[in-house]
Amino acid sequence: MKTEALSGDILQGEGEVSLPWWRQRRRQHIDWCTVWFCIMGAALVGITVLAIANIASAELADPAHLLEVALSSEVIGSVLLTFVAGANAVLLLILFGTPLAYVLARSRPSRFKGVVESIVDIPLILPHTVAGLLVYLLFMRRGWLGAPLSEIGLSFEDAYPGTVVAMLFVASPFFVNTMREGFEKVPVHLENVARTLGAGTFTTFRTVTLPLSLRHMYSGAVLAWGRAIGEFAGVIMIAYYPFIISTLIYYSFTTDGIHTSRSIAFVVILVSFAVFYLLRRMTRYLGRYDDRV
Amino acid sequence: MIEFDRVSLSLGSFSLNDVSLSINRGDYYFIVGPSGAGKTVLLEAIAGLHRPERGRILLRGEEITALSPDKRGIGLVYQDYSLFPSMTVAGNVGYGLRVRGVRKAEAQREVAGLLERFGIDHLADRYPGTLSGGEQQRVALARAVAVKPDILLLDEPLSALDPVTQEKFIGDLQRLHREDDLTIVQVSHSRREAHLLATRMAVIIDGALVDEGRADVVLNAPGSRQVASFIGIENILDGTVTANDGGHATVDVGGRTFEALTDAAAGEEVTLCIRADDVVLALGDGRRSSARNTMTGTIVQVVENGPIAEVRVNSGMELTVVLTRRSVRDLSLVPGISVTLSVKATAIHVIRR
Repeated sequence: MKTEALSGDILQGEGEVSLPWWRQRRRQHIDWCTVWFCIMGAALVGITVLAIANIASAELADPAHLLEVALSSEVIGSVLLTFVAGANAVLLLILFGTPLAYVLARSRPSRFKGVVESIVDIPLILPHTVAGLLVYLLFMRRGWLGAPLSEIGLSFEDAYPGTVVAMLFVASPFFVNTMREGFEKVPVHLENVARTLGAGTFTTFRTVTLPLSLRHMYSGAVLAWGRAIGEFAGVIMIAYYPFIISTLIYYSFTTDGIHTSRSIAFVVILVSFAVFYLLRRMTRYLGRYDDRV
Repeated sequence: MIEFDRVSLSLGSFSLNDVSLSINRGDYYFIVGPSGAGKTVLLEAIAGLHRPERGRILLRGEEITALSPDKRGIGLVYQDYSLFPSMTVAGNVGYGLRVRGVRKAEAQREVAGLLERFGIDHLADRYPGTLSGGEQQRVALARAVAVKPDILLLDEPLSALDPVTQEKFIGDLQRLHREDDLTIVQVSHSRREAHLLATRMAVIIDGALVDEGRADVVLNAPGSRQVASFIGIENILDGTVTANDGGHATVDVGGRTFEALTDAAAGEEVTLCIRADDVVLALGDGRRSSARNTMTGTIVQVVENGPIAEVRVNSGMELTVVLTRRSVRDLSLVPGISVTLSVKATAIHVIRR
């Protein structure tokens, strides 16, 4: 049956005798470069899959405990807090990071621009504890920004704003750099034409540049959000409480041991995977304007 | 209408140096020059996209050097058409009307009229990425004229089109210039386009304006050797005037004598410009003719190009002659055979150096 099914294969010339499928397969060209790339890529993906399989096998062996942990108000609250604080940080990044990214994308190379770009990248290269310390020193009650802000009732130490500001600090390069790359890809000619048609600078940005950078804005936001919700050292310095996922796992690990912290970690893996997968599916066609594809 | 008064500006590797020119209302003005000469920078300076470091730009009699592009009322079409990929064809054409606050119903009516006029009404809901080059160009033109500018700037609009579409588009541009009473400024490096469309033109080389004036004058009587070379005069010869009899000069070019009409005095250095199609070629020693310049030579190369052919003749110096391909075949012109070339004294343009 198999041989018959393959007899119509386009690789088989007219009048040729039908060959068994395994011999036909051998006659096809094999792109060894792609094969090796796949093998090497699979090794990388394999490590993640193996790590998840490892934790899954342990957790699924005791579903009652897993369910108990997953449904505990502490874990649900912590997951929600982490995601919301991350989203809050990303919203602030969109608000302040987008103009910065645009200016960096459109300004000509200069020493000053180089300095600003390096400052933007600082959170990328610093150890996370150092980043946390920087945030703490600036936003603590006696800090340069923390002191005046606490006077108007905005406190950062062991408070939600502290979590957000720490997340914002460590996630900012991911958003700004991706957004800047997006703006750089929008040809300046489009903006020039819009200007000659009567649009002011902001109208041009809003109606021409921004819609064409939506994919990058989305990618930058997802990257920054991912980075924000995964932050531990940066957050713990200024806001040990309220517990976000990473601090809760650390707390649970140091007080209850591996069993509970592993269950929380597994819940987080499942939720994060589901959320990121959903986001990718929802925005598949975002910013694509060619109706042939 | 547009005046550049000693304008200088630099932009990365491109610069304009001390450029002064004036474009009159109704001109079809060409800015030509080799790649990287600064043509597009000049065009964008007119649109207000670059601010000069020195000098003034006047528009309709008023200084507009610092006026922003959205307040100049000038349309711009780039070589790549620069259609907004996130908008449909109708969205692109209506963009200028929308940002100028034209009411929706009125804008839709205007857009429908423009789409029909430019023959793109069937593309109204398509996105630019799905259009051909010719279609994109018509959309770009419709978008530019939608806001009724009196000046239209075109940056090499024909260079990305195939020859057939180019011919059609040249007709469209001529009609647009005539019917819309537009002043058009077109950047190009094509001499052919300048021949077909320009009423006046400027030649820019290395950021400096080297020639400006009526298109036929610049194209047929260039002011310098550099311009003559750029606009494609095939035979450019340097020589010295040996005698001048009331404007009828005798010029020595490397030991060979040419007669031409010029006021240059004896001893003056000049450059002779002879168009290849002004040279008459005859077989053998030739016949007596009224042409004042006759020389014999040997064909070194025959290059056929469509219905015409370029014949290169060595007559002590290499001269290029343009003939029809039929003439080449009828006369059996091949490298090695002897021919006689003749040029009228009136067909030689003399540049005084």
